[in-house]
Amino acid sequence: MARTIISKELFKSIATPFLILVKTNRKFRIGFTIIVIVIALALISFLAPPKYIHWYSYPRNIPPSLTNIDLLLGTTANGRSVFWVFTNAIKNSLIIGIVTALIAPHIGLLIGIITGLKGGVIDRVLMFITDTIIVIPALPLYIIVLMVLKPHISAIGSPIPFMGLIFSITAWCWPARQVRAIVLSLREREFILTSTLSGNSMVRIIFREIIPHLLAWHLINLTNTVLYSIGMETGLSILGLSILDKDTLGTMIYWALYYSALFRGLWWWYITPILGIVIIFLSFFLISQGISEYINPRLRQ
Amino acid sequence: MVSKALVRFIIIRTIVLILTLFTAFSFTFILLRVMPVSAVENILAGLTVQGQVVDPQAIIELRKTLYEIFGLTGSPMEQYFKYLRRFLTLDFGPSIMSYPTPARVLIFSRLPWTISLLAFTTVISWVLGNVLGVFASINRKRRVSKVLVSLSLTLYPIPYYIMALVLIFLFCYIIPIFPLFGGFGEMSFTDIISFIRAWLYQSTLPALSIIMISMFGWWFLSSYTLTLNVQTEDYVYYAELRGLPQSRILKNYVFKNVLLPQVTTLGLSLGGIFGGALLTEMLFAYPGIGMLAYRAVLSGDYPTALGMLSLTIIAVATATYILDIVYPFIDPRIRHR
Repeated sequence: MARTIISKELFKSIATPFLILVKTNRKFRIGFTIIVIVIALALISFLAPPKYIHWYSYPRNIPPSLTNIDLLLGTTANGRSVFWVFTNAIKNSLIIGIVTALIAPHIGLLIGIITGLKGGVIDRVLMFITDTIIVIPALPLYIIVLMVLKPHISAIGSPIPFMGLIFSITAWCWPARQVRAIVLSLREREFILTSTLSGNSMVRIIFREIIPHLLAWHLINLTNTVLYSIGMETGLSILGLSILDKDTLGTMIYWALYYSALFRGLWWWYITPILGIVIIFLSFFLISQGISEYINPRLRQ
Repeated sequence: MVSKALVRFIIIRTIVLILTLFTAFSFTFILLRVMPVSAVENILAGLTVQGQVVDPQAIIELRKTLYEIFGLTGSPMEQYFKYLRRFLTLDFGPSIMSYPTPARVLIFSRLPWTISLLAFTTVISWVLGNVLGVFASINRKRRVSKVLVSLSLTLYPIPYYIMALVLIFLFCYIIPIFPLFGGFGEMSFTDIISFIRAWLYQSTLPALSIIMISMFGWWFLSSYTLTLNVQTEDYVYYAELRGLPQSRILKNYVFKNVLLPQVTTLGLSLGGIFGGALLTEMLFAYPGIGMLAYRAVLSGDYPTALGMLSLTIIAVATATYILDIVYPFIDPRIRHR
């Protein structure tokens, strides 16, 4: 009984701001609409005919035509349907992003709360490490890591989520920094003091008082991490350092460049993954903008 | 000018720099240590399997380097110091792709290209982005400003290399002004003018892609919001009440307070700029570090790749350090603390 009430409350506390956001914030509305379309495309990938994965299962170098769904976006130089590759690429890229988003921002949340509340030596040491990792350019680091791991990755049962796992190595830093800053300002607020003086335990204060205030920020961190991870995978794919036999938006660009698609005049092969990335980035960014305008009215224009 | 506080600040900041380098190298040390143990032998096997002509001497040198980097020899303490020595001196032995040239020499020979591109684009985009941001924010009712804001909101989340790919599509395919396969080829220039022409031809698109993103995306938007905040500050209101001319308010009250925090942000964003530029260079076949990175990846050239990692860490840490040192000279509030 109590549980259903709590879950109802939880549902309400998520649904109400969501509805307000959709109604009042144009950025959020646009972003959310695009996301729904992107997710729909990712879901369509499950309808792909099994032969899409093989080379030369379609005629080569066919320009886009509206007559046939397989040829909707044309075919590649190695005889694959760009449409089916694209939908699968979106699915896999989103999985990579979501896996990182499931891990890194939560580590960041934990570290941010600990450092923000505890202060002292723990805070200094952890924040110093965080700042250092933020300053290190992540790309050269991942170049080395993936040069070493690349021969092993394909041997792993599920290489796509594994890529997401790898990008968590650095992705927790920005969330940790941000959460800490907010916790620092929350700590001084009166309701925290009241709660402490009422004899509530630290854990209770964290869960009942602090985390509810962090939820919206956490959501922004989640969307940003998805983008960070997808972007990183794409960048590394361009260097050929991803799972090249799986379709992601990055590997799609890699193969289009590898076969010099533009030189052959196959612009549909080249521009589709790029548009896909632009659309994904734009929609997630609009959503995070919408949420930050919701929690910080000063940003509204 | 040089006060005791300033000297103290510089000393503290230097210690922080050293600690940062230590932390960064230790982080990579731990990261490489978690890798599969068989990595080294796999790397070496991979090199011979690829059927490349690799000097046997190169393999022996590489094995020695990799054993030290991945910590397969000596006690943990010894490993750590050997590792640190290699990272601090960028000494990773001879490169694989052009043996026996040391990887370090290879990297340093490409460095001027990257630094000139980055310095040029960073300065241009920082200045233009900030100035435009302030003006758009002050005249935010104008249509131009609204267009600029929505343009920058669109460009903000897009990575540099995606912009680069879009520019390639626009200016090499749709309107073929630039060749699809950039690149200097062999660098042979008879006179300085043809060199400059070739250089401009080579650098325009990479520079444009970096400037577009970092100017409109990053600097424009942040200075726009900063100006919005500064305009509502009491001191600006007071200046208006005193009847100061608008230009003076702008120059002395708004600009200064917007640009100062942007210097700090510059330090934080350097790492991202550096990483993004690597891929941009590669896509445009610009003969900088990025192109080298690509070739290193292709030929499994670990010495060069490791050298680049260590160089980027040192370069970015040092650049942030220099910015921090310069900052008190710009911002009097810190100088007098």
